[in-house]
Amino acid sequence: MRKLSIAALGVVAALALASCSAGDGGSGESATGDLRVWLVGTDTPQEARDYLIDTFESENPGSTLTIEEQAWGGLVDLLTTNLSGSDSPDLVEVGNTQAAAFTSAGAFLDLTADYDALGGDDLLPGFVEAGSYDGKFYAAPLYSGSRLVFYKKDALAAAGLSVPTTLDEYVSNGEALAEANPGASGIWWPGQDWYNALPFIWENGGEVATFESSGWKSQFSSPGSIAGLKQVQDVMTNASRAPKDANETNPQVGYCEGTTLQLSAPSWVKWSILAPLDAETPGCPDEEANLGVYAMPGKDGGAAQVFAGGSNIAVSAKSAHPELAKKALAIILSDGFQEIYGANGLVPAKLSLADTLGTDEVAAAISEAAGAARLTPPSPKWADVEASGALTDFFVQIAQGGDVASLAKDLDAKIDSILNG
Amino acid sequence: MSPNTSLDVAPGDVDGDRLVAPSQRGSQRAVKKPRAQFTPYSLLVPATAVLAAVVGWPLIQLVIMSFQEFGRAQVFGAPSPFIGFDNYVEVLTDQAFWLVMFRSFAFAAVCVVSTMVMGTLIALLMNALGKVMRLVLSIGLLLAWAMPALTATIVWGWMFDTGYGVVNYVLTRWFGLDYIGHSWLIEPLSFFFVAALIVIWGAIPFVVFTVYAGLTQVPDEVLEASQLDGAGPVQRFRLIIFPYLRSIFLVVFILQIIWDLRVFTQIFALQGIGGIKEQTSTLGVYIYQNSLGTGEYGTGGAIAVITVIVITAISFYYVRQSIKEEEL
Repeated sequence: MRKLSIAALGVVAALALASCSAGDGGSGESATGDLRVWLVGTDTPQEARDYLIDTFESENPGSTLTIEEQAWGGLVDLLTTNLSGSDSPDLVEVGNTQAAAFTSAGAFLDLTADYDALGGDDLLPGFVEAGSYDGKFYAAPLYSGSRLVFYKKDALAAAGLSVPTTLDEYVSNGEALAEANPGASGIWWPGQDWYNALPFIWENGGEVATFESSGWKSQFSSPGSIAGLKQVQDVMTNASRAPKDANETNPQVGYCEGTTLQLSAPSWVKWSILAPLDAETPGCPDEEANLGVYAMPGKDGGAAQVFAGGSNIAVSAKSAHPELAKKALAIILSDGFQEIYGANGLVPAKLSLADTLGTDEVAAAISEAAGAARLTPPSPKWADVEASGALTDFFVQIAQGGDVASLAKDLDAKIDSILNG
Repeated sequence: MSPNTSLDVAPGDVDGDRLVAPSQRGSQRAVKKPRAQFTPYSLLVPATAVLAAVVGWPLIQLVIMSFQEFGRAQVFGAPSPFIGFDNYVEVLTDQAFWLVMFRSFAFAAVCVVSTMVMGTLIALLMNALGKVMRLVLSIGLLLAWAMPALTATIVWGWMFDTGYGVVNYVLTRWFGLDYIGHSWLIEPLSFFFVAALIVIWGAIPFVVFTVYAGLTQVPDEVLEASQLDGAGPVQRFRLIIFPYLRSIFLVVFILQIIWDLRVFTQIFALQGIGGIKEQTSTLGVYIYQNSLGTGEYGTGGAIAVITVIVITAISFYYVRQSIKEEEL
């Protein structure tokens, strides 16, 4: 009996203590600490990670910095639960289209006062906009990466084709390749990959969603969007042999196997394709000479308006070490760190570093694509549209051969209710 | 003999001039009794405290949240106003919710029936097997039981992969069917076929072991006697084994219903591999999509509360039935 009540008291005390220690995290910051930085996916090269850790730890003796890698899938959920908890990471990477969900909710520390020190007007303007809310600056640009088209030079030559100059030619090339190579994808396009459908919508004069006086209005069923979506369906059913309901991860598998002849993907996919054979996810380094790349062409020539993918980085409002986190953020936005992105085919966060991309074929395609790149609607609820899965469902049904007009109408209704709900 | 036995305070015992009435003994006992009653309750305290902290508190929070306007901004500290039954009205008038509800019950029904039938048959098989084969079977079942649901789903997902899956390969190469690039998850029925396979595969071991344990308790004499009287195997199962194991079947059956109604991992992981989310969501996944997916914690909370009520109703039936069994 006595033992029992002592044990019960112990439990109560432990619970009480736990809640105490959780409560006083924010008061008074010590000069040293252990920072946790969340980077997402494998986009950030190892060289950059090492640079960040080494620089931070030598500039702040006694403090440590740990990089924890998260996955893109389910990131919004993960950030919501972790940033609101008492054990929040200090610095977090977030997709540029997801940033508004958190800047508007007060999840990030206000960095307005640090804007000039971090790079000021040299920072990528579209990403500064994505990381700002209500006139305040919360999430700094991390890097940008446009989508490029990778192709097998020998396959294109064997079919008697050349690099397309218009969007229609890109589509017809893809279909010709698929026809000439039974079982292979002229343009590899798994149904869940909705990012690649955006240029088709924009180039045909459509929009994703527009803001009107009454609120957001989804535009998938507008005439321009429908024209683009029909073209998407054409490619998905006639040029692609990718699974109709799969997602766009591991594009290098089909490419290295020889069943993917062209694919549109973020610029860093080059390194997935050319990964050494003994890597954790091996590629096919012997394809280097055969790997061609170009910017997706627009309807009337030039580069298509592609989706400007990329990331922002922010300090958690619940960080126990906000001053240290800001120092780490300064390192991340320093030229030394950002140049590593450039050298690895990602667009650095500063306009002045654009030339670090180099002068090769990829760099030329990147700068061409980046010039015409566009963003998704800047609504704080846009991240919820992405996370709801409505878009992936929609494009899987398009790939399946569903009726574009009626599916687009349903999608508009769903997006309207999320954006204005 | 202890001095406490009733003998030494039998009526007629003398305490000075007076008789000591037995009723006084009774009152002495009454003083002791509460102490004896306190011990069992105090033994319940740790378990109750843990349950209250781990299950009770979140449940209370959930109910409160379901009556509030609670979005992502509220997670980060914005005020959350009470809006009465608005969330519930929104959920209950949404056709998608009823579709999800229907889908969950249909899916659970198929899974529960298949699991129970196959589990019982395998248990009977195990009972009839020799020692070596029984051991082999037990180890096989244990491995399936020990495999985490997520791992199992991913491995099954690979087997049913559209491009590189072994199922398509075998069907095409060995049986001459055209299954090249066949997507198993894109059609909802086919999706639920794969999901049911994974769920049933994972649930069968529990049924087998429980029923098998029960089977060892059925007295051999009774079975032998009935056999001599000419009862066939089906009659023996229906008239002897089943009545003996009734309570076990009831417990396992209700547990299966609860587990299959709130199935989450298998469906969620499969949706990541392929398929159309809107046409394949069950209750558990639907709650997740509404709460964490679109950040509508209030609506998600309302759906969760409704689910809790439905499952509690089933559990209540189960508890009542098992109490009835005990009373018999």
